[in-house]
Amino acid sequence: MNILVFTKRVPATQEEELRITSEGKRVDLSKIPFKVNDWDNYSVEEAVRIIEKSGGAVTAVSIGDTESDEVLRRAIAMGAKDGFLLERGEILHDPSTRATLMYNFIKKENIPFDAIFTGVQSEDDQFAATGGILAAKLRLPFVSMVIGIDAVEKDHMVVRRELEGGLQERITVTLPCVISIQTGINEPRYVSIMGVRKASKVERKVFNAAQYEENVSSKIEVIQWVYPQKKAGATLLPADIEMACKELLGILKEKGVY
Amino acid sequence: MSYGLVIGEVRKNIFEERNIDAIGLVHLLQKESVLLIPNGHYEIQEGIINLLITVDVEETQFLNPLAMVHVLEKMITAHGKPDMIVFTHSSSGIELASYAAGYFDFPLITDVSGYDTEKKIFYKSYYSDKIFGQFYVTQDETPIITVRSGSFREHVQAKGFSPAHETIDGIPAITNRTFMEYVEEEKGDVDITKAEFLLSIGRGVGNKDEIQHYEELASLLKATLSASRPVIDKQWLPKARQVGTSGKTVKPKVYLAMGISGAFQHIAGMKDADCIIAVNKDPEAPIFQYAHYGIIGDMHKVRDKLKDILKT
Amino acid sequence: MIVETKVFTCIQCGKCTGSCPESGKTPFNIRMLMRKRQFQTKIEEGLPWYCSSCGACTIRCPRDVKPSEVIIEIRSSLVENGEIPLALQKALENTFVQKNPWGRARTKRGDWSGKLANTVPHVRETQSKRLLFTCCIQAYDPRCMVIPVNVAHILMKCGVEFGILGEEEACCGNEIRRIGEMGLFEELEEENKTTFKEYGVQEIIALSPHCMNVLKKEYGDMGIKISHYTEILAPLMRDGALSMGGAFNKKVIYHDPCFLGKQNGIFDEPRDILSAIQGIELMEFSRSRENSLCCEGGGGRMFFEVETAYQRNAVVRAQEAFDKGAQVIATSCPFCLMTLEEQAVERGIMVKDISEILMEVVEQ
Repeated sequence: MNILVFTKRVPATQEEELRITSEGKRVDLSKIPFKVNDWDNYSVEEAVRIIEKSGGAVTAVSIGDTESDEVLRRAIAMGAKDGFLLERGEILHDPSTRATLMYNFIKKENIPFDAIFTGVQSEDDQFAATGGILAAKLRLPFVSMVIGIDAVEKDHMVVRRELEGGLQERITVTLPCVISIQTGINEPRYVSIMGVRKASKVERKVFNAAQYEENVSSKIEVIQWVYPQKKAGATLLPADIEMACKELLGILKEKGVY
Repeated sequence: MSYGLVIGEVRKNIFEERNIDAIGLVHLLQKESVLLIPNGHYEIQEGIINLLITVDVEETQFLNPLAMVHVLEKMITAHGKPDMIVFTHSSSGIELASYAAGYFDFPLITDVSGYDTEKKIFYKSYYSDKIFGQFYVTQDETPIITVRSGSFREHVQAKGFSPAHETIDGIPAITNRTFMEYVEEEKGDVDITKAEFLLSIGRGVGNKDEIQHYEELASLLKATLSASRPVIDKQWLPKARQVGTSGKTVKPKVYLAMGISGAFQHIAGMKDADCIIAVNKDPEAPIFQYAHYGIIGDMHKVRDKLKDILKT
Repeated sequence: MIVETKVFTCIQCGKCTGSCPESGKTPFNIRMLMRKRQFQTKIEEGLPWYCSSCGACTIRCPRDVKPSEVIIEIRSSLVENGEIPLALQKALENTFVQKNPWGRARTKRGDWSGKLANTVPHVRETQSKRLLFTCCIQAYDPRCMVIPVNVAHILMKCGVEFGILGEEEACCGNEIRRIGEMGLFEELEEENKTTFKEYGVQEIIALSPHCMNVLKKEYGDMGIKISHYTEILAPLMRDGALSMGGAFNKKVIYHDPCFLGKQNGIFDEPRDILSAIQGIELMEFSRSRENSLCCEGGGGRMFFEVETAYQRNAVVRAQEAFDKGAQVIATSCPFCLMTLEEQAVERGIMVKDISEILMEVVEQ
C-alpha cells in the first residue's frame, strides 16, 4: 500500500506569550522554537505501522520553507521511504490554497497513492480543513477525525471516527481515499537524533511550490491579528501557597463537597 | 432568494444544542434562515427558522460528506446560492464543511467565534486562542463557516411564526464511504458526569508518575479524578475520565482544574460547572477567564501543600 | 565523546555491585549486567534504567571496566530502537525542542534573573567573560530557582563580575548523555560550545554539579575554567569578602552530591563554607564524601519512575538525619535537594542548598 502523508512544521507556542507586531499585521514567531505538528506525528506513525504490517511505502510531503526539511527527516526516521518538500517562503493561511497546491502537485507529478493521511488540524491555525478540501478536489471519499483503523484491505479500510461525548462511529471507506488522523490514535515511536541524522542520507526532493500555484489564490485574508478579549476573570487566591490552599479548602467546604 | 443556510447537526435523533449558534450567525446577518435536516423526529426550537427543509435521507447518510455535496447542489439549484452556509464546529460539522468547500470551491473559515457586521470580518482563533485573526472573505462567493459553540446564540430572535416546510429528495446512495455502526466507548470504572466534585488534571502534570499523587489527593478530598485530552491521549488515564468536547461534558458543583491551560475544547466540556477553580503556573492561561477562583502556581506544589494540610 | 569501555576485562569481582546504590533492593545488578554484556545475552526490559549514574562502580572497579559507561552504551542501543520509557521519551523530545527536559519555554530561561534588584548582564557585556551557567531545573522550577537568584546576589555582593546567557543557554546534556541519547547530547554540546566561543567565554561557574561535570569533563578542552559555585564562594569567604550579618543556629548535616563529590573530588569547599557560618553545628552522615549515598536523582531518574516500589535512598538519608538529630540537610545540588526534600520534610527536617543557608546569614 502506498500512503502519502502530509506533515507540517509548526511553532511550539504552548507556553509562549505571543506578540503582535507591525501594527497588527504580523505575529512575532522569531524566537519561538519549532516542532512537528502533533497531529502529523500521529499520522506518520499510523501510516508507518500499516506498511510495516502489510507492506508498501510511506511518502512524506510538507509545504513550507527550507526548515521544514526537519519534519521530513523525522518522518523518514520513523519509517517513511522518502520525503518531498514543496518549498515556499511565506505561509499560506487559506487552507483551500494549501489543498489546491497539494492537488496540483499530486496531479502534475503523478504521485501514486492508495491513501492520503493528513492530521485533523495543525497546532498553529487549527483550521482543520486541508484534508477535506483536498479530498473533495480529488473527488475521493473522505473520513476525518480517525481515532482508529480497524482493518486495511486491498480495496478498502474500516476506520473509526471520533464524535462528541466519547462516542465513535465505524466507517468503511474505499481506496483510494483521504483520511485525517486524530491525536491519540497510537503512541508515536521515539525518534532519536542519530536516527534523524541517518534519515538525512535519504534524498528529500525539493520542489518549488510556485510551479504548482497556477490557480491558487486566497479566498480569505487576514486583515489584522488581535489579542483575545479578556473577560472578568478569576478571583485570585493569595500568592502564598499555604494560604491559598487553606482558602481553597474553605471554598470547598462552603460548596458542600468537602 | 437571499438566505443563510444552516446545516443542522444531528446525531442519533437529537438536534444538537449547538445548532443554535449556527442559527444565531444567520440572525446576526439579518438573512432569512433556512435549516436543513434529514428524515427523523427532531426537537427544534419554535419560531427561529424561516424555512425548514427536510432532506429525504436517513441521518447517517445526511452526515456523509459525499452525500451532503449532492444535497447542497440540489439546494443551490432550487433556491440559488445562499449568502452563507453555516455548520457547527464539531466532528461532523468540520468534516462536512471542508469537503463542501473543496467540492464547490467556496471560501471556508472554521471555528469562527465572532463577526463584525459592519466590516464583514470573521474572528478566528489561532495558536490555541492566544491570538485571533480577523478574516475577510476576498472572493465574491458563498462563504462556508463553522461556528464555535456558544458564540452567536445571543443573536437569535424568535420570529413568532412557524417555519415553512419543504423537502429535497433524489439524493443518490453513496457506496464508497458508508456508515457501519456506532461504537460506545468502553464503560470505565467511573461516570464522571455524575460526580459532584471533579479534580481534573491537564498537560501540566508532566509525567505519568505524578498521576498516583493526584489520585491520592482526589481520594483525600473525596473528589473524582478526571483529565483533559493530553493526559488521555498519552493513556495516563482511561478515556472514561476525559473532560472536553471529545470526552464528557460535566456540570459538577466544583471543578478543580490543575495544570489545564483552558483550550477551548476542554472549556466546552466544563464551563457550566457551578464553581471552577483553576491552578496553573501561567497567569495568562485562558482557563483563568472561565474560572471563578484561581491559584497561580505550580500544580505539584499546590497538590503537595493540600495533601500536607489534609493529612494533619 | 567516545569512552572506551572494557567489558572483557571484568573479572566479576563484584565491587561494583557492592557500591551500587540500587543493588539489593531493586532487580538491578551491575555485576550481572557486565556478565550479560560479555556474553551478549539478553538484558531484561526496564533493567538498564535503574542506574542513577552515581559513578561509584566505575570509581571502584579494579579493572577499568567503567560499568557506568557500559550502562550508557546499553541505553544508547535502546534509545536508537525507541525502547525507552515513555516519560524519558517526553524528556528527550522536550529537550530537543525547548532545550530543557521539562519542555518549558526556551524564551523564558533567563526570567529568573528578573527577581534580582540589579540587572544581570549578558556575558557578552562583561569584561571578565565569566559565565554563570544556570541549569534547566534551576531556571524553571520555583523551588530551585532560589539557587541562581541567591548565588547571583552573593556574587554581586562580593564584587565578582559575571554574566548569563539567558535563553541562549541550552541544557548541558549531562543527563541526556547518561540516558543514552548520543545524538541529542552532541547537538547540545555543539550549540553550547558555539555560544561560549561566540561570546569569548573565559570562565564558567556552574550552579549544578551535573552541569559542571559535563562541561568540565565531557565537552572536551574548551580552554575555559569550569568550577562549581562552592569552589568560588569558599575562598571568597576565607578571604573575608563576604560580610556575615547573622548566625544559623542549627544542626546541619551535609550530603555530598555524587557529581560534586565522588565524581569530581569536591568535598571540602562546601564544608568550608558551612563551617565558616556562625552557629552551625556541622554533622556528617555515616556514608559521606567518597562513600556518599546517591540520592537517585541522576541517570535520568529525575524524569521517570522505575516500576518496582522499594525503599528509596532519600528515605534512608532522611531517617539517618533524623536519628542523628539534624535539623537541616545541606546540599549543593538541585537534584539532591529535590529528591531529599519530601522525605526530610515528613520528618520535620529542612533541606537547604548551601546558597540558601548563606542568604540567611549574609549581611543584606
